[in-house]
Amino acid sequence: MKRLLVWFRERWPVDAVLRLALEEEIPGGARYAYTLGSAVLTVFFLQTVTGVFQLLFYVPATDLAYDSVSYIRTRVQFGWLFHGLHYWGAQAMIVLVLFHMTRVFLWGAYKRPRELTWLLGVALLLAVMAFSFSGSPLQWDQRGYWIGEVSTSIAGTMPVVGDMMKRLIRGGEAMGQIALLRLFTLHVGVLPAALAGLFGLHIVAMRRFGSVGPWDESKRGRSGPFWPDQFYKDMVTGTTVLFVLITLAVFLPPGYSGPADPLDVSYIPKPDWNFLFLYEALKYFQGRLEPVGTVGVPAVLITILLLLPFIDRNPERNPLRRPFALAGALLLGGILAALSIKGYLSPGFGQVQEQQKTEIRLPGKGAFVSVGEAARGPSGPAGEGKTEGQPGPAAYMIGSAERGGMVFERLCSACHGKEGRGGVPNPGSTAGKVPSLAPIDSRLFSADARTFAGNIDSIIQHGSRPAGTAPAISMPPFGDNNTLTQAEIANVEAYILALNSLDRGQIVNPGMEPGRFYIFVMAIYILVVLGLGGLRKRMEGR
Amino acid sequence: MHEQKDPGETRRGFLKRAAGVLALVNGLVLGVPMIGSLLGAVKKTGERPWTKLATLGSLPEGRPVEVKFKAVVEDAFHYRMTLQSAWVIRHSEERLTVFSPVCTHLGCHFLWNKKTGHFECPCHASIFAQDGTVISGPAPRRLDTLEHRIENGDLLVRLERFKSGTARKVTVEA
Repeated sequence: MKRLLVWFRERWPVDAVLRLALEEEIPGGARYAYTLGSAVLTVFFLQTVTGVFQLLFYVPATDLAYDSVSYIRTRVQFGWLFHGLHYWGAQAMIVLVLFHMTRVFLWGAYKRPRELTWLLGVALLLAVMAFSFSGSPLQWDQRGYWIGEVSTSIAGTMPVVGDMMKRLIRGGEAMGQIALLRLFTLHVGVLPAALAGLFGLHIVAMRRFGSVGPWDESKRGRSGPFWPDQFYKDMVTGTTVLFVLITLAVFLPPGYSGPADPLDVSYIPKPDWNFLFLYEALKYFQGRLEPVGTVGVPAVLITILLLLPFIDRNPERNPLRRPFALAGALLLGGILAALSIKGYLSPGFGQVQEQQKTEIRLPGKGAFVSVGEAARGPSGPAGEGKTEGQPGPAAYMIGSAERGGMVFERLCSACHGKEGRGGVPNPGSTAGKVPSLAPIDSRLFSADARTFAGNIDSIIQHGSRPAGTAPAISMPPFGDNNTLTQAEIANVEAYILALNSLDRGQIVNPGMEPGRFYIFVMAIYILVVLGLGGLRKRMEGR
Repeated sequence: MHEQKDPGETRRGFLKRAAGVLALVNGLVLGVPMIGSLLGAVKKTGERPWTKLATLGSLPEGRPVEVKFKAVVEDAFHYRMTLQSAWVIRHSEERLTVFSPVCTHLGCHFLWNKKTGHFECPCHASIFAQDGTVISGPAPRRLDTLEHRIENGDLLVRLERFKSGTARKVTVEA
């Protein structure tokens, strides 16, 4: 083994590379404040690992993307974990980048001669934002689809280049298959390579002059080595970040917004939190000013960031002695925060504001018919209650119970009662009433979410005539007569399951239940911390 | 001689070891579930769905018929409408036997020989009686029956596949 190492070292500059990577004297010694940058790198590793894992199952095709992600989340062992980590890791990456930028700003580490490191950092920030923008639509759920649709439309409003940019990202006019593939290629191929490359340049630039260290001269007396002092602190922060992300993945799994449904105009699209400031800002640039906003707002922000080291030539690094810089940063931060909060609170976030329509159109009839009328009268041969047909595509999709509830209230509660409680009379039927859905007939119920959904799906798709001589109300075929999209039916099914205390997105094959896994992980980390504590005491004792 | 360790050295040593331990633990916390997941089984479904084979009235009594029917087949997250087949023997009004069309030897689809009154597999000449028992040939077990039930005059079957080449009938989970 030793001989192999010697052979390798003779032919590859191991020592030089290690020196570049590990050798650095940090003025004032290692500090936890300096671990934020490496925390971003740690999360990037995590995203790569969890991303590759999902790549083993994910399909970037519009009719398979959503189901493949649902598959990961419910039928692949620990799929729930890796998907959850990837989701929360994405949020963490942005947060940590912002913290790191702020720390660098406060220390004045962007000032001469470290301007290049800062510029590369801005490029990295943009790459991270691009990751966020390209990642959401990949799931092809309502949330992601509309984020893709709206943000590319906004890009399209840019003067001169807008239309070209929109068509470049979408691969055409529509937000469809080619758009999905483009965003996928960006997210999985181009951006990781770009980020890795930029990071390499960034860290080498940083090592050229080393850490800037404390601004307080009295604290610059001693210095500390990067290896192992700072590296150890980096590992502690990295471990903490990982543990927090696991906690989030276990206790706050990303919800289901239902399959992408371009026909569902009741869904109010909103960008992810990190783009809310832009979303809100653009509201101030309506009509003819729109292009000014679309180009201007991002351009101004990026320009400010890029020019910072050149505008601020004051060599002073103590933030308390840099009133203009500090005030400027607080002002900018405050504006962005205020815009984000306003954007978050603005109507449409999770709320539906449009009119409740109870009209459905039956093809061939040419006129709008109310739900009541469509439900009236027998829809099949008299006598036995009968449902023809197999489950439709909706049965296999995991819908959003929340959105299903909205559809239910609009189209189902009139007959099935509020929240499916039943009780609406149905003269002429054997049962005498429209069946209750909460709890639902035991013949339809199943503890397996997909089976349950499949059972009720046949009825929703094809309609059903209740048993009886001449029932006044029958169940209309919401799927066959194109009243509801498959996505909407999937959402309604998720809602009905929820009424029966069943989660449509139940994890069928967890590998290990999230709760149990968490206890396991917590125990491991506690043991490690205690063990290291003991080790330290022993070593200090010698 | 008692060697006095330089306090700086033990501190460095501790930091190095601690960093290594943390890296290892983090790697395991992620790595073990990942490897376990990739090696482990992917669960198909809790219950298999019932598929309609044919209306009872269309099935003749006394002799085996091969019924071709449409069924949704699950392939990971892919649900495809495919054409499946099964052998049905109607013994009486409501008594039937439904056989999986797959030979228990190596997985070929077998045929019905009208003249001999036996099921015969063209691949390696396994011969089965009308009740599924092996008469001759390399088949290790009798023909596999499929769970079925009658509802509203329709014959419904639970589509399943079984392992070939084993003496015991084992459902394939994949």
